[in-house]
Amino acid sequence: MPQNFFYQEKGLFLQSLHPAASLTLIAAFFLLALCFSHPLYLLGLLLVILFSLWAADGLAAWESYLKAVLWLGLLIMLINALVNHSGSTILWRSPALPLLGQLSVSMEAISYGAAMGVRLLDVVSAFCLFNLIVHPDRFFSLFSTFARKSSLVVSLATRLFPLLLATLGQIREAQQLRGVDFSRGSLRERTVKNAALFNILLLSALEDSLQMAEAMQARAFGSGPRSRYRRDLFRPRDGICLAGVGFSLVAAAYNLARDLGSYTYFPQLGSLWGGNFSMIALAAVLLGLSLPALLSWGCNHWPYLKWKI
Amino acid sequence: MEKWKFPLFFLLVTGLLAFSIIADSPVKLNWSLLSAGIVGAAIIFLFRGFEQSPASTREIAVIAVLGAVAALGRVSLSALPNIQPVTFLVIVSGYVFGARTGFMVGSTAALASNFFLGQGPWTPWQMFAWGLAGASAAYFRAVFPGAGKWALALFQFTWGYLFGCMMNIWTWTAFIHPLSWQSFLATWAASLWFDSLHALGNVFFYLFFGGSVIKILNRVQKKIAVSRLPVQNIPPSNNHHYKTN
Amino acid sequence: MALFEVENLTYYYPDTKAPSLRCVNLAIEEGEFLLIAGGSGSGKSSLARALTGLIPNFYGGKIGGKVSYQNRDIRSWSRQDLAREIGMVFQDPEKQLVMTGVEAEVAFGLENLGLPQDEMFRRVAEVMSFLNLTALKAEFTSTLSGGQKQKLALGSVLAMQPHTLILDEPTSQLAPAAAEEFFHLIKRMNEEMNLTIVLVEQRLDRCFHLADRVVVMANGTIVQDGPPGESAVWLIANDLPFVPPVAALFARVGAPEIPLTVKEGRRLLKKILCCGNTPGTGQEQLKENLIDNDSEPVIEVKNLWFSYPNGREALRDINLLVAPGEFLAVLGENAAGKTTLLKQLVGLLKPNRGKVMIMGRDTRRAATHELAHYTGYLPQNPNDFLFQDTVEEELRFTLANLNLPDKGRVEQLLGRLGLIQHRHANPRDLSSGERQRVALAAVMVATPQLLVLDEPTRCIDYGMKATLGNWLQEIAAGGTAVVMVTHDVDFAAEYACRVVMLFDGRIAFDGPKHAALGSSMFYSPQIGRIFRGMDNNVLTLREALNRIPLNLN
Repeated sequence: MPQNFFYQEKGLFLQSLHPAASLTLIAAFFLLALCFSHPLYLLGLLLVILFSLWAADGLAAWESYLKAVLWLGLLIMLINALVNHSGSTILWRSPALPLLGQLSVSMEAISYGAAMGVRLLDVVSAFCLFNLIVHPDRFFSLFSTFARKSSLVVSLATRLFPLLLATLGQIREAQQLRGVDFSRGSLRERTVKNAALFNILLLSALEDSLQMAEAMQARAFGSGPRSRYRRDLFRPRDGICLAGVGFSLVAAAYNLARDLGSYTYFPQLGSLWGGNFSMIALAAVLLGLSLPALLSWGCNHWPYLKWKI
Repeated sequence: MEKWKFPLFFLLVTGLLAFSIIADSPVKLNWSLLSAGIVGAAIIFLFRGFEQSPASTREIAVIAVLGAVAALGRVSLSALPNIQPVTFLVIVSGYVFGARTGFMVGSTAALASNFFLGQGPWTPWQMFAWGLAGASAAYFRAVFPGAGKWALALFQFTWGYLFGCMMNIWTWTAFIHPLSWQSFLATWAASLWFDSLHALGNVFFYLFFGGSVIKILNRVQKKIAVSRLPVQNIPPSNNHHYKTN
Repeated sequence: MALFEVENLTYYYPDTKAPSLRCVNLAIEEGEFLLIAGGSGSGKSSLARALTGLIPNFYGGKIGGKVSYQNRDIRSWSRQDLAREIGMVFQDPEKQLVMTGVEAEVAFGLENLGLPQDEMFRRVAEVMSFLNLTALKAEFTSTLSGGQKQKLALGSVLAMQPHTLILDEPTSQLAPAAAEEFFHLIKRMNEEMNLTIVLVEQRLDRCFHLADRVVVMANGTIVQDGPPGESAVWLIANDLPFVPPVAALFARVGAPEIPLTVKEGRRLLKKILCCGNTPGTGQEQLKENLIDNDSEPVIEVKNLWFSYPNGREALRDINLLVAPGEFLAVLGENAAGKTTLLKQLVGLLKPNRGKVMIMGRDTRRAATHELAHYTGYLPQNPNDFLFQDTVEEELRFTLANLNLPDKGRVEQLLGRLGLIQHRHANPRDLSSGERQRVALAAVMVATPQLLVLDEPTRCIDYGMKATLGNWLQEIAAGGTAVVMVTHDVDFAAEYACRVVMLFDGRIAFDGPKHAALGSSMFYSPQIGRIFRGMDNNVLTLREALNRIPLNLN
C-alpha cells in the first residue's frame, strides 16, 4: 500500500510537539549534516537521529528508507573514490584507459566517500523523522499565512490522493467486467488498456474539480484577507525542545568557527580524536539535539514529567 | 516587468547554479548548503508569484487535481525504475494551461506524492525540477507555436535528462569532492541509465496518452475561459416573452 | 419584506442556447423551510446557486432579472458578507471537503472570513459538539463514512454561522439512516436556531413533511408554490412523480385530507379500513412471486466465507441460488458486506472458503474478464465507466472486448433505451440520468445472463427511477438474472421479486419480497409501514390502491 509512509497518528510525544518545534529540530539535523564533515560528528548525528526515530516508533519505516537510498549511498562512495585524486595513500591504480586516463583510488578518497555515505543517511533519516512526526495539515497550516493559495493546492492534492486511488480501483473493476484483461496482450495493447483507465480517471477528476472549486467559493475562499486557525498549543515541552536545538546550533556554530566540526581528509587523513575539547563540544551539540527524544523517553516512564510539560 | 519576473528569475537561478559548477572559489563555501538555499529560494519566489497571481478557485482546483493524478501515477508505478507519468503530465499541463499552472502542477505533484513515497532531501529539488518542466513547456509553446507531435516528444525526451541533471546537482554538491566538471560528469554518467529510462518513459507516455490528455485538458481550459468572461445582462424587455409561455 | 426576493430571473450558462432558469419569481421569508422539488434538468439546482450568488459570480453566463437578499441586489454584496449570511451544502461530500484533517476542515471557511483565532476556536468547538464530531477531531477526512463526511461538510458551513442554509440534494449519496439523521439535524436548526432553509431534493419521502412550503420546478420555471399538502395534491393532479408515497396513495384514492407522514397515514387508513374491509391474507401474492427453480441456476453460492487481507471478515457462510429471470435485491446497512457479496458474484473477489459458481463456472478457476461474458456490472457511478468519444463507441467497446458481433444490436438497444438521438454525442456531455442509461446500454449490449447493479438509484429522480425499474423488470423477464445492491427499500419493494438481507456478513433473510419487507420493522417501504399490522402484504402503491376502495368522499 502506498500509504505506508503516510503520517499516522499514534499519540506519541514527538507527534505532540508544536510543528514549529518539530520542524526546527528536523531543519537543525539537516543543516548540521551538511555543515559537518568530521566523521565522528556525522556518526554522532546519525545516532541522535536514530534515537529520535526510535522515540517516534519509526525504525521499521526507516528500514524501508534505508533500502531506497542504499544504491545512492554506494554510488556516492564509488564516485568519490574514482574522481578524487587528492589523496596521498594510493591503494590501487588502474591501467591507462581510453578517454579517462589512469584512475587511482586512494585511502583518503574512500574515507571521504564513507563519511559522505553517513551524511546521506543523516539527511535521509532526518526526513524520515519528518514523515513520522509532522502531520501534513499542521505543516500546511504553518505555511498558509503567507502562502494561502499554494498551501491550499498542496493540501487539496494530498486529500484527493486516497480518493483518486479508490476511484481508480473502481474504474479498473468496471473495465474488467466489460471484458478488459489487463494482464493479457502485448506491451502496446496493455498500455492502451491502461491509457483508457488513466483517461477515465483524469476526465472524472477534472469534472469533479469544478464542484470542488464551487464549494470552496461558497465557503468564501479568496474573498478577502485570510486568517489562520492555530490548533497547536505551545507547551513547555516545545520551549524545552527549541531551547535544546538552539543550544546545539550555537554550540555547532562555535565548533565550526573553531574548525572543530570539519576534518582534514586530504592529502592525508587527520586524527579522528580532535582532542578532548572537540569531543566535549560534540557531546554538547548532540545532547541538545537529543533532548526531544530524551523527553519522550522520560514522559513514557514518569507520568509526572508528562503532566508538567 | 511582472511578465518578465519569472524568466528573469529562471535565468538568475540557472546562472547561479552554473556559477557554482565552474567557480574555483577562493573563499571556502559550503556548496551543499548553498545549492539547497538557492533551490529553496527559487521555490519560495515562484510560489510567491503564484500567490500574487489572480488564479481563480477553479484553477486552484484544477491544479490540485492534476497534481494529485500525477502523484497517483507516480506512486502506482513506483515499482518501475524511474518510469512515471509525472514529467509527461506536468509538461502537457504547462503546454495547455501556461507557465504558472505548469509550475504549480509540477511542484504539487512532487510534494504530494512524497507524502506517500517518503519525503526526503530530494523533495525540494523535485519540486523545482518538475515545476520548471511545466513552466518551460509553456515557453516552448510560445517560442515554437507550430511545433508538431515529434517536436514535443523530443521536448519530453530532453526533460528526462534535464530532470536527472538537476537532481544530480544536489547529490554532487552535497556528497562529492572535489567539485569539478569531471566529477559532475561522473555523477551524471552514473545516473545515465536511470535518466534514459525517464526520458524514454516520457516519450512513451506522450505518444500513447498525449493526444487524449491534451484533448481533455483543452476541454477544461475552454470551460474555465468561458466562465471568466464578464457576465452578460439580459435587458428586461427580452425577458418579457417568457411570461407569456 | 421577504428575506429573498427573486424577480423575473432568467439565466443561461455560458455557451448554452437554452436558458436554465426562465423568468423565475419567488419570495422566501425569514425562518422558512422551503423545499424545492423537480426532476433533473428542471433548474432547481440553478435556482439554489442563484440564491447563493454562485450564479453568476462563479459560473459567468447571461443573466436577466434580479435576486435580492435583505432588500439588496445579491450581486452588490461583497463575497465575504454573502458567505457570512448564506451557507451552501452540496450533493457530494467528497467534492466539498478540502483539508486532510477534520478540525482543519471545519476551520477552513472561518479562515477565509479572516476571523480572529479566539472566535474561530469557539465556533469550531461549538459546531463539533453540536454535530457530535468531537470524537473524529483528529481523523483524516478520507477515513470517514459518507454520512460523517456530509455531516462534516454541514458543520464546516454552519461554523460560518450563516442565517440561511441552502442544500442541494445533500443526502443523495447517503444511506437511508444517515439521510434521515441529516434531515432531522436540519429541521432542528430551522426550529431551534431560526435558520432559513432552502432544500433542493428529489427524494421527498423523508423531507416533504418537514417543509413549510414546497416549490415545484419544471423546465426552468416554478410551476407550483404552496404548502406541502396543497403541493402534493397539485403534483398528483398533474401526474408528476415528486410526491412521497403516503401522500400519493391518499391523494389517488381521493381522501379528504392528504397525510404526509406514516403516522398520519396510519390513522387515516384505520378509519378507512374500519368501514367493513377485512384485511386479506395475501397468500396468493406470495405464491405468484415464487420462481420455479427447475432451470440451471445462474449463480450458485455455497458456504462462502471471505476475509479481506487486513483481516476483516466480510462474508460468513453465504448460501445463495439465483435462477434465470429472477430479480433480486440485496439490502443491508453500510459495511454489512453488500458490496463484497456483489464483487464475489461477478468474480472480482474470490472466496476464501466455499465456492461461487457463475453459469456453472467456478470463479476461482476463471479470470474476471472471462466471467465478463456472462455478467454485466453497472457501478454506482456511471462516470467510472464512460470514456469513449461517442455513445455508440461506448457500446462497441464492450462488444469488441468480448469478441461479439454487432448485428444491429447497438442500434436496437439505443433505440430501446431512448438514446438513439444521442448516439454521436460525447457521453460526458449528457445528463447524469442519460449517462446511467448509456452505461446500462454498454452492459446490456453483450446480453449477459447476469446483470449486477450497485446502488442504481442513487443519483436519479423519481421519474427515472420508474423507467429504470421497468427496464430492469423487462430485462429479468427476458431471462437475465438481475441482482441489485441498494439502500432504496421503496425501489426494491416496487420492482424486485426477491429480497436478501445481509447483516454483519451473514444472510439474515432470503425470500420473496412480501415476506421480507412486509414484516420488517426498519427495512420496509413507506407504504409498507402504513399497512403494517393491517395488511403485511401491501408494499407498493399499486398493491395499496387495490386494497383501498376508490373515491372515498
